[in-house]
Amino acid sequence: MAINLSLWSLKAGDHCEILGYDDALAEKYKIRLMEFGFHPGESVICLQSPSFGAPKVYQVSNTVFSLDDEVAAHVAVRLSGASE
Amino acid sequence: MSKIILIGSPNSGKSLLFNRLTGLSQKVANFPGITVDVGSGKLQALPDKTLIDFPGTYSLQAISAEEEVAVDYFERALEDPDVEQVLCVIDATRLEKSLLFTLQVIRDCERNSKKITVLANMMDVLENHDLTLDVEGMSAALHTRVIPISARSGKGIDEVISELSATACQVREPRAHLVDTPDAILRGEAHKLAHRFGPEGDVLIRTQNRLDNFFLHSLTGGVSFFLIMYLLFQSIFTWAAPVMDAVEGSLAWMADALVPLLGNQVVKDFTSDALFSGIGAFLVFVPQIFVLTFVIGLLEDSGYMARAALICHKPLRLFGLTGKSFIPMLSGVACAIPAIYAARAIDSPRKRVLTYIAIPLMPCSARLPVYTLLIAAFIPAQTALGGLVGLQGLAMFGIYFFGMMTGLLVTGLISRTSEDHHNDLPFVLELPPYRLPGLKPIVRNAWNRSKHFVTKAGKIIFTVTVVIWLLGYFPNYGADLGQSWLGHLGHFIEPVFSPLGLDWRYGVAIFTSFAAREVFVGTLGTIFGIEGADENMVPLVEHIQGSDLALGSGLALLVFFAISLQCVSTLAILAKESASRSLTLKMFVGYFLLAYTAAVVVYQVTGLLVG
Repeated sequence: MAINLSLWSLKAGDHCEILGYDDALAEKYKIRLMEFGFHPGESVICLQSPSFGAPKVYQVSNTVFSLDDEVAAHVAVRLSGASE
Repeated sequence: MSKIILIGSPNSGKSLLFNRLTGLSQKVANFPGITVDVGSGKLQALPDKTLIDFPGTYSLQAISAEEEVAVDYFERALEDPDVEQVLCVIDATRLEKSLLFTLQVIRDCERNSKKITVLANMMDVLENHDLTLDVEGMSAALHTRVIPISARSGKGIDEVISELSATACQVREPRAHLVDTPDAILRGEAHKLAHRFGPEGDVLIRTQNRLDNFFLHSLTGGVSFFLIMYLLFQSIFTWAAPVMDAVEGSLAWMADALVPLLGNQVVKDFTSDALFSGIGAFLVFVPQIFVLTFVIGLLEDSGYMARAALICHKPLRLFGLTGKSFIPMLSGVACAIPAIYAARAIDSPRKRVLTYIAIPLMPCSARLPVYTLLIAAFIPAQTALGGLVGLQGLAMFGIYFFGMMTGLLVTGLISRTSEDHHNDLPFVLELPPYRLPGLKPIVRNAWNRSKHFVTKAGKIIFTVTVVIWLLGYFPNYGADLGQSWLGHLGHFIEPVFSPLGLDWRYGVAIFTSFAAREVFVGTLGTIFGIEGADENMVPLVEHIQGSDLALGSGLALLVFFAISLQCVSTLAILAKESASRSLTLKMFVGYFLLAYTAAVVVYQVTGLLVG
C-alpha cells in the first residue's frame, strides 16, 4: 500500500491508528510488528522523538517499543488525536 | 527424571524465576534477550525434576535463524515423553506482548498433550501501583491455570511448587478450536484478552515516560549518557586498578617467598617466570571483568541500557552495527574479553558477529604500555599552539582514534559486502520500565563471568605463556635470549619485519606479544638487558632512541599494534562465545595482514616524507 503518513513521521505526543504496511517491508518484519501489537486498527502513541534521527519511542497497548526509520517508515498510520 | 520446560517472552523475568526455583545463577537483567543458551537445573524443592530454561522469544513463528533454533528445540522438547509440564511466564505489566506467545505455547502443548501452567510474573509491580490482573477470568478464558507470582519477591512460588509436585500428570484434552488456530487469529485473541483481563490505565508507562523525557532528551539525555559512560569507563580503569595491582603484588610476593625455597635453578626460573607469570597473565584481568560486568549489570537491570542502545543506534548503523553494539565496544576500550561477553545482549546474530569484529580494534588497556613506550621514544615531548597541545598527547589521541575508526570502517566494509545482508533483524527494541537494580543477582553474575574466564581462558593463556617461556629459556638456560630457540625464531622471521625497518629483536618482541600485547615491553627490556622495563620505561626509551631506529619504524609499530589481534585471552574467549574457530582464525589472520600492510605503508611513506 502507498503511505501518506508513516509511523516515522509522528512527533512526540501524536496519537495515531495503524492502517497497514508498505509492500517494501519484508513479510517477516510485518509478522513481528503484529506480534508486538502494531496491527492494523491498533492505536499507537509516539512517546519520544529524539534528535539526530535516533529511533523513536512508541506505546502500543501497555508496552513501549523503539523503532528506527528502516521499520517505522513502512508503517502507514492516520492521526487520531491531538498532540499533548 | 521428569523434565519441566520454562518458557516466556524476553524480559518477562523468566531467568530470575529459574534461579529462584533451582538455586542456580542464570544471568538475569532488565534487558530483552539476555538468555541466549538453554539452561537446566534440578528444582531445589523437587530434586527429581529438572527445569529447562529456554531463551526468551516473542513468538513461536521464528524470523531469524537463531530464533528458529530455539523454537525447533522447544517443539522437539514437547515430543519428549519425559517432559511432564510447561511453565509459561508472562509479564503481567505488559500483557498483550506476552499473551500471543502464551496462546501459541498453549496451542502447541495441546497438540502434544502436555500440561501447561501460566505464571503471571511481576505482580509486585502491579500491586505497588494499585493495579490488578483478573487472574480467575484469564484462567477461565485460557482453560489453563494462571498463578500470580513475583519472581523477585518470591510471592506465589510456593503455589508453583505445589503445582509442580502434583504427582498425577494432567494431560490436556485437545481443544479443536485452539489446536488448529492460525497465528493471525491468535493475535486478535491476545489483543482481546489483554484488554479484558489486563490492568487498566497506563500509570507504569507514564512514570517510564517521565524518566525518558530526561534520559532521551537532546540535551539532558546527551549529557547523562556521557556521564554514565564516563562512570563506566572510570570503573574499568580506576576501580579495578587497585585490585589488579593487588593481584600482581600478591603473585610477586608469593613468587618471592616460594622461589628461594626451591633447589634447582631451572625449577626456580620456571616457577618464577613461567608459572607465576602464566597465572598472573590471566588473573590480572579478573578484577576488570568483575567490575565491568557488575556495572553493565547495574545499567541493564535499571533499564538504562536499552536507552543507551537507542541513543547510539543511528551513528553505529552507518557501520553496519546496532545501538546494542555500543556497550561492548566501549568495554573494549578497557579490555576485549568482558566486551566479547557483553556482546551476548545483541539479539541479531549478524550484528553480534560484526560487533565481535569491531571489538579487537578498540584501543584496550593492554595497548597502553606499548603506545606509551613508542610515543615516548619517537614523538618529541614538545608542545604546540602556545603550549595548549602536547605532541605526545596528540599522538596518543591519534592512535586511539585511528584504532576505533579502523574498527568501524572494517565492520562497515564487511557489512556492505557480506552476502547475508538481508538476513537480519530490524531494530525493534522493547524499552523495559526503569527499576532499582537487584544487587545480589548482579554480583552473582559478575562472579560467574569472572569464574568462566578463569576456567575457560585461563588454561589456554597459561599454556601459551609456558610455551613462550620454554622457547626463550632453552637450550642455554636463559643465559642469552638471542641464542635461545625464541632468538633463533626471531632471526628466522627477521625478513618478515625488515620491510618495517625492524631487526630480529623487535621481531621476537612482536612474536611474544601475540600472547598479550603488553609482553612486548617486557621482552624488549629482557633483550636489551634492562631489568623491570614494565614498571620503569625510561631506560628502555633511551635505549630505543639510541639505537637509531627510524621514525617510520616507530610509527609502523604503533599502527601494527593498533590493528593486530595479539591477545591469546581474547582469541580464546572469542572462539568460545562465537562458537566459531573459523571466525576467530579469520579475524586473527585478517587483522595481522591488515596490520602488517598498514605498517609497511606507514614505514615507506614516512621514509619518503622524512627521508
